[in-house]
Amino acid sequence: MAGRRQRGPAFAAALAFVLAAGAANACERPQGWTGGGKIVGKTWTVRWQSAPAAIPVGAHFSLRFRLCGPPVARVKVRGWMPDHRHGMNYRAAVTLAGPTGAVRGLLFHMPGRWQLVFDIAGAAGREKLVAETVLE
Amino acid sequence: MTDIVRLILVAFCMQWAVAALPAGAVDFTAAETRKILRHGPWPQTATPDPSNRVSGNPAAIAFGRVLFFDTRLSASGSVSCATCHRPDAGWTDGRARSRGQRAVDRNALSLFNLRFNRWFGWDGAQDTLWAQNLRPLLDRREMGIGAAGAARLVRGDRTLSCRYRLAFGVAPGPDVERVFVDLGKALAAFLETLVTGRTPFDDFRDALARNDAAGRARYPDAAKRGLRLFVGRGNCAFCHFGPAFANGEFADAGVPHFAGSGRADPGRFGGIRKLRKSSYTLLGRFNDDPARTTAVKTRHVRLAHSNFGEFRVPGLRNAALTAPYMHAGSLKTLADVVRHYSTLDEERLHAGGERILRRLDLSAREQADLVAFLESLTEAEPRRESAAKPGTSPCR
Ligand code: HEC
Ligand code: HEC
Ligand SMILES: [Cu+2]
Repeated sequence: MAGRRQRGPAFAAALAFVLAAGAANACERPQGWTGGGKIVGKTWTVRWQSAPAAIPVGAHFSLRFRLCGPPVARVKVRGWMPDHRHGMNYRAAVTLAGPTGAVRGLLFHMPGRWQLVFDIAGAAGREKLVAETVLE
Repeated sequence: MTDIVRLILVAFCMQWAVAALPAGAVDFTAAETRKILRHGPWPQTATPDPSNRVSGNPAAIAFGRVLFFDTRLSASGSVSCATCHRPDAGWTDGRARSRGQRAVDRNALSLFNLRFNRWFGWDGAQDTLWAQNLRPLLDRREMGIGAAGAARLVRGDRTLSCRYRLAFGVAPGPDVERVFVDLGKALAAFLETLVTGRTPFDDFRDALARNDAAGRARYPDAAKRGLRLFVGRGNCAFCHFGPAFANGEFADAGVPHFAGSGRADPGRFGGIRKLRKSSYTLLGRFNDDPARTTAVKTRHVRLAHSNFGEFRVPGLRNAALTAPYMHAGSLKTLADVVRHYSTLDEERLHAGGERILRRLDLSAREQADLVAFLESLTEAEPRRESAAKPGTSPCR
């Protein structure tokens, strides 16, 4: 059966990482992480990994992430379907422990193009980091 | 190689395999085929509900069947669950809006494939099937016997208390609410068994999956064209997604939501508020799963203004058997539903911001094709159900 395919920045970031593997990297993948993606912003870079590894349609999933950059005060994580102009019907909860975090309660309720959005705020300012994925 | 790269390679290979299918009369692209395959296989394997300790328990299923047909569970003694959910009418009552002891605002939902619901009721005010089953017992318009009345009936009736003991392993105890909730759980065990059978669509879908040209040819061309609209230009599969043809969530499908007497039915907005006030939820003391593994949805559900006027996306298996349609039964036939989607008032619909549905302006033939597809989601031989066969239980 056809699974989910991932395109866009998330895929590009993952591929870039594969190609750059071994080289010095500003925001290395934490030990034991596989898959997921990396989003590079002006102030922060985030590395994320979902569980299950393939984001499902219509089932809850969770996420862990690691932020590289200046200290962070607050992170919100949400989903958005740009083509349909709606987000999730669930509010995800983020627990931050220093530069790493865990997100629970995410649910992408239809197939199509979804954005995984990290809203980051700290003394250094605010930034919105977006990964895109197409769910089938 | 990372998982993601492996995933992409697999996706490429599958795309190539599907593209190599031989041509037929109505042919599907690789992308359409992938979408179609997501609506199966059927039946799906269902696991017991961890929040209900008697889910899947044969004695509870038998007890639930008896309760379902028992009119003594209503204050007037004249209404049973089966009054509004008739087994011979697709588990609905054929009315636009149901009538129990009095008239209610909404159309009776059918009771097929309930194990796949995330939420229950048109507004999703319940997060479990057992909690949903308690609602008509409390609502005076429906059965209205109340928790105390129901518990008293079961304790005082030799047969019912015997069946309760067989199902739950103990006699009905002094805690009224616990006995009451257990009735909802026995009813749930019974209703979970109402799974629809294989349909012409499923045979086609599986033929597509195994690249069986003869199998694919048996599915009528009109249904194939309707299916293409459903997964394509009609945008139907965004909401009516997956093997049950429902994504488990809520939407405004452009159906007027007046509840009569000038009041508007708040739909999902009211549903979330009711859920938060209820003690019969996965977050309350009646959840039989100490780990609360299925309570994530209840903990994280978000209330938004856009929920006003949203209703649950209904599953479409056996929809041909459950007319009339929509939350207040405002559309009489499947052809009326398709015409509704074809002539939607976009301006009203997009006031909420969401853009999925659009006015389809389908031709008469396209409308007939979509109806042919929807009808192909009907099982060949709907199962007959009735009150317990006498003599099959040790309880007299
Ligand atoms: C007066 C008619 C009436 C009676 C009696 C009645 N129901 Fe219903 N039932 C409805 C209506 C109407 C709905 C939709 C309710 C809503 O969304 O507010 C419904 C919804 C349901 C659902 C939700 C299905 C879904 O997909 O979410 C279940 C389950 C159900 N009823 C089971 C029962 C059981 C069990 C009984 C007996 C204890 C019962 N009903 C008695 C009219 C009735
Ligand atoms: C935006 C999500 C969405 C899309 C897209 C959508 N539907 Fe629906 N559908 C719903 C909702 C929600 C309802 C119930 C609406 C109500 O009662 O107010 C519904 C109801 C129905 C029903 C009635 C089922 C019943 O038991 O009452 C049918 C049939 C149906 N849709 C078919 C379709 C078809 C065919 C398409 C494509 C042309 C489609 N839907 C597109 C959300 C959607
Ligand atoms: Cu969407």
